[in-house]
Amino acid sequence: MTGNGLLRTDGLTCDFGGLRAVDSVSLSVERGAVHSLIGPNAAGKTTLFNLLSGEFPPTAGRVYFEGRDVTGLPSHRIPHLGIARCFQRNNLFPKLSVLENVWVARFSRSRPGPLGFLKRVADFGAIRDRAREIINDVGLEAKAGAPAETLSHGQQRALEVAIALAGEPAFLLLDEPTQGLAPEATERMTQLIQGLARRYTILLIEHKMHVVMSISDRISVMHFGRIIAEGQPDEIRRNADVQRAYLGVRR
Amino acid sequence: MGRQRPLLRLAALIGATILLPILVRPVVAAEIWIFAVAAMALNLIFGYTGMLSFGQATFFGVAAYTAGLMMIHWKAGLLVCLLAGIVVGALTAAVIGYFCIQRLGIYFIMLTFCFNQMFFFVAYKWTSVTGGDDGLPGIPRPPLALGPLSIPLNTSLRYYVFVAVVFLVLFYAMKRIVESPLGLIFQSIRENPSRAAAVGYDVKRFKWIAFTIAGAFTGLAGVLYSMMFGIVPLEVISWVTSGDIVFMVLIGGIGHLYGPLIGAAAFKWLSEAVSVLWERWPLILGVALVLVVLFLRGGLVEALARLRLALARRRLAAGAGAESA
Repeated sequence: MTGNGLLRTDGLTCDFGGLRAVDSVSLSVERGAVHSLIGPNAAGKTTLFNLLSGEFPPTAGRVYFEGRDVTGLPSHRIPHLGIARCFQRNNLFPKLSVLENVWVARFSRSRPGPLGFLKRVADFGAIRDRAREIINDVGLEAKAGAPAETLSHGQQRALEVAIALAGEPAFLLLDEPTQGLAPEATERMTQLIQGLARRYTILLIEHKMHVVMSISDRISVMHFGRIIAEGQPDEIRRNADVQRAYLGVRR
Repeated sequence: MGRQRPLLRLAALIGATILLPILVRPVVAAEIWIFAVAAMALNLIFGYTGMLSFGQATFFGVAAYTAGLMMIHWKAGLLVCLLAGIVVGALTAAVIGYFCIQRLGIYFIMLTFCFNQMFFFVAYKWTSVTGGDDGLPGIPRPPLALGPLSIPLNTSLRYYVFVAVVFLVLFYAMKRIVESPLGLIFQSIRENPSRAAAVGYDVKRFKWIAFTIAGAFTGLAGVLYSMMFGIVPLEVISWVTSGDIVFMVLIGGIGHLYGPLIGAAAFKWLSEAVSVLWERWPLILGVALVLVVLFLRGGLVEALARLRLALARRRLAAGAGAESA
């Protein structure tokens, strides 16, 4: 229980049958930082995210957010703490429009009271304006009325981020936002995340090394469920264990 | 933008409630709107929230029996009975729904069906109260009492007018639910339940709310039905009625506000008009259902939309042909 990070984990462990997917991970993400989580496929990064976002409870260990023990809270409680997640695979509301996708995520964090449920969606001007603002921020303003399922993959990645932002979080869990993107789209997404970095604390899973190295304040490296190294980008680049476990294998 | 079209539709619906008792017998017309209420309630949980209930007759039947017994034994008034239908329908749905929503997909469907069968056998065996197989007869149709005013609903046309007004009020209420934040939350749960949870909605709780609201609407429909013929037949609580309601939604168009209304009208009109000519009319229904499931997932609403599109294309093509000639 060292450090005073915004989000801390203490000995977090997750077993799937005989497989230990996450092995006593103790992590501390400082407020305001862009903290990246890297490692080979199947290192346990997304499983760690699932534990943080409440998809399933850990086998052992604790999660603290703003000093409060939030271990094992169900997934629908997590956004109300100020933690939002964007998924590795596009996880949208396919038949709803882009605006409705963002609206419904933004509405969740407003407190309309029981009478608010008797109003029409169209009556919530402030929520709609904020949703449009977020849609503009991620560059989807031209697509606001289109059903999410009609967007290109790159646009869907942007919408994925927009839905996360709509929860007005303090802390963002971004799971491979550039996954499957062409170089120009990757560049745009990187700039978007850099723009977010000043406003949010971010824990980022990313495979593209140039992205990770250019935007991270701190990097943790996972391998077989464990954190094998942690430090600033330069330290990680020079770390022999990391090169062997990750960079060496991949290149 | 786009505000005129919904108004036009609403006007068309009001027009339909006026024209219908001229086109078909008022009794059939009343039955159409009663089942339209039950169908739009199922549409809320099936079309909008993504849960197919095969047990809606439970709420329809329980409310019909409750109101029937209240009118026979307590000489209960009309509005009291309607209120009782809402309460009994909602409460029954709240209890049954609490268990059903714990499971997904086929297991959810089977649970709603099993509860339906349980209630059916209670109604079937408890003959001293429900009349069992013979039905519950001798239900008086109370007058509509509005303060000092008492309007008798003693003709089928008068009763139709009453049913049509109640239906329009309920339709408007359903429209508002679907257009409210609640309606959008239901749709987001239908589209992607795990993402709905990930943005902060307690999915089970909202499913339970949808199920309970549908129970209230269905209960009210059951009460209207119990007053119509002066008898509650055992059939109202059987799985056949549950199936009919599912058919209406499928044929009309799932997840569309007007779909269940068109479906209920088509279903009841078919059973009325064709059953006189041919007693094996459900065969036609079966074929229609197979065709809808195979080729027309959006039901009759989609058929109308496609027809309009085809006509517009033809007009466009004719215009282009005339220009080039």
